[in-house]
Amino acid sequence: MIEFRSVSYAFEDVSVLEDVSLTIEDGEFGLLAGANGSGKTTLLRHCNGLLTPDSGEVLVDGTPVSDDLIAARSSVGMVFQHPRDQFVSATVGADVAFGPENLGLERAEIDRRVDAALEAVNMAGREDDRIDTLSGGEQSRVAIAGALAMDPSHLVLDEPFTGLDEPARRSVLERLAALSADGTGVLLATHDLRDVLTLADRVIAMRDGQVAADGSPDDALEDLAGLEVRVPDR
Amino acid sequence: MLTYEPDETLAHRLDPRSKLAVQIGFAATALAHPTPRALLVLSAVTVVVLAAARVSLRRTVIAYRYALVVLAIAPVLAGVTIGSPWFDRADALTSGLASYRVLLILLVSAAYVRSTPVRDSRAAIQRTIPGKPGQLLGIGIALVFRFLPVLQGDLRTIREAMAARLGTERGTIDRISTVGMLGLTRAFDRADRLSLALRARCFAWNPTLPPLAFSRLDYPVLAFALCLALSAFY
Amino acid sequence: MATERNSVELVDDDAVRSFARAAVLAALMGAAAVVGSIPIPLSPVPISLGVLVVYLMGLYLGPYWGTVSIGLYLTAGAIGIPVFANGTAGIGVLIGETGGYLWAYPLAVILIGLAVHGTDDLADPADTSTPVIAAVLLAALIVIYGLGTAWLGYVLELGAIEALQLAVVPFVPGDLLKIVAAIAIVKAGRIDPT
Ligand SMILES: Nc1ncnc2c1ncn2[C@@H]1O[C@H](COP(=O)(O)OP(=O)(O)O)[C@@H](O)[C@H]1O
Ligand SMILES: [Mg+2]
Repeated sequence: MIEFRSVSYAFEDVSVLEDVSLTIEDGEFGLLAGANGSGKTTLLRHCNGLLTPDSGEVLVDGTPVSDDLIAARSSVGMVFQHPRDQFVSATVGADVAFGPENLGLERAEIDRRVDAALEAVNMAGREDDRIDTLSGGEQSRVAIAGALAMDPSHLVLDEPFTGLDEPARRSVLERLAALSADGTGVLLATHDLRDVLTLADRVIAMRDGQVAADGSPDDALEDLAGLEVRVPDR
Repeated sequence: MLTYEPDETLAHRLDPRSKLAVQIGFAATALAHPTPRALLVLSAVTVVVLAAARVSLRRTVIAYRYALVVLAIAPVLAGVTIGSPWFDRADALTSGLASYRVLLILLVSAAYVRSTPVRDSRAAIQRTIPGKPGQLLGIGIALVFRFLPVLQGDLRTIREAMAARLGTERGTIDRISTVGMLGLTRAFDRADRLSLALRARCFAWNPTLPPLAFSRLDYPVLAFALCLALSAFY
Repeated sequence: MATERNSVELVDDDAVRSFARAAVLAALMGAAAVVGSIPIPLSPVPISLGVLVVYLMGLYLGPYWGTVSIGLYLTAGAIGIPVFANGTAGIGVLIGETGGYLWAYPLAVILIGLAVHGTDDLADPADTSTPVIAAVLLAALIVIYGLGTAWLGYVLELGAIEALQLAVVPFVPGDLLKIVAAIAIVKAGRIDPT
């Protein structure tokens, strides 16, 4: 469970999050929608302590993030917008192993997690492939595997479809749907809701650093009007 | 280009630390004894080392071609004198022998390069150098390996963009500083994104170390390296 | 599981950021060795951007992380990543005829880093006056030439003049242009070192 309690945050003097309160339940598939600059990225980076609130607090599984960064970062796996810049090794297997290695796990457990994570993103058996030979969609999926190897209860993704073509986008979405069906919570920030709305349990819409609407995907279509996000054609 | 190639040779099965020891022992004795007799023995050693790693002599010579030009010019430069006798054969010979030993050192190190994946070198570094320096170096070279092709791509893009915008007509200094500035800006952008990913995946000082172990084959090789190193003193 | 996690010692945030910059600049130096060269008029050797990146390491990473960066570059090349001139690699290059230049790089970075940043937190190099930067970069270049030539002369059994002819003279014009370019980059003030 990820809990925001009256979180406010500013870059220098510019207020970016204003009094945000939210609870993301385990196993939930949530969409964080909103125009560019509405504060989605800033909000997500509070979930695992990459940013610290100016006021208010963020809790993961009941513990304030700042009290146990390691627990928060293991429970909340994060995938960023540019997959190319988030790999730490030139080969797939070594990269996915990075998180569990940092947690100091036994080698056998690390190997098990790498296999399971690659399996979950449809990249089983590709350990020795070089990352720069992979397609954009494959890179995105390996980045997801890197987060999954930490064995998180939530997977948080920030605009993971940027720069992906349609088939690649679908391949990533299909994996997210499968993960969600297996019980991993997914929180996906995007300004393009076309084919993700049907997967979601909940849509959180942001405007100017505040939660403008929060509800089921059906209600969301009404609320999202005027938020400069791309919604499905009707 | 001279790089690691997967293979099953004797050298591929050795621990990187033994291969490192051989190179250092070899270089030490070659630097100490630039005599025809010693170089004859060392040439034989080089042939054995190259065969043990199945190094292609032709490709290695091509890879080191610029270095070889310097090695070839050196004895000529050493021999030429202003005034009689115009060419000092003794000086040229001394320099020629010295150049030849450098060639041997280069060839022996080519065997390491062809037979050792970055993963193994990284493991050797993290297991040999204790504490934080070992961890920084180990993860650091993995990052260099990962980002090298990415930044080569960046530099190519920058140069092509400059050429397209009549950049070829610019002054030389202008061009160097533009490439340098854009290259540095992009590199720092990538690094800043990378640092978020490192933090999200719990980048730690004390991770599980990559697996690596000496095999029975390594002991005679280490003993040989020791002999080479000791022979530098005789 | 909980007990294992308690022993994890996270690298602190500022160090992660500086380290990432150091590693990526080391890779940039390697990329410049293959892709970067720019032909210059009236010179037989094209300019490789390598030494420019050495300057930038000292100027923008400071003495501590700059040294880490150049150390990563040298180690990466030694273990076989093709980052040395023209995409070569191997310990042989560090011992071979151009090894002196490579070993001089860390000294150059420390010299530049100390002169511009001192031993405390990173400063903005744009705040250092142009003559001081020019003098420091020139001093760094002299260190590189000095060690480079000395080693080349020793390892190839050449006299000082011969070594200079082979290893310094052809490169002087390009290396001076790189100093001017580095100053231009710093004075443009568009890159934030912190
Ligand atoms: N590093 C930063 N420094 C200053 N302002 C920033 C920074 N990052 C984001 N902002 C500002 O914060 C606001 C929210 O940005 P962000 O969270 O990235 O929104 P989104 O992800 O929804 O596009 C924007 O107005 C943006 O300009
Ligand atoms: Mg964003």
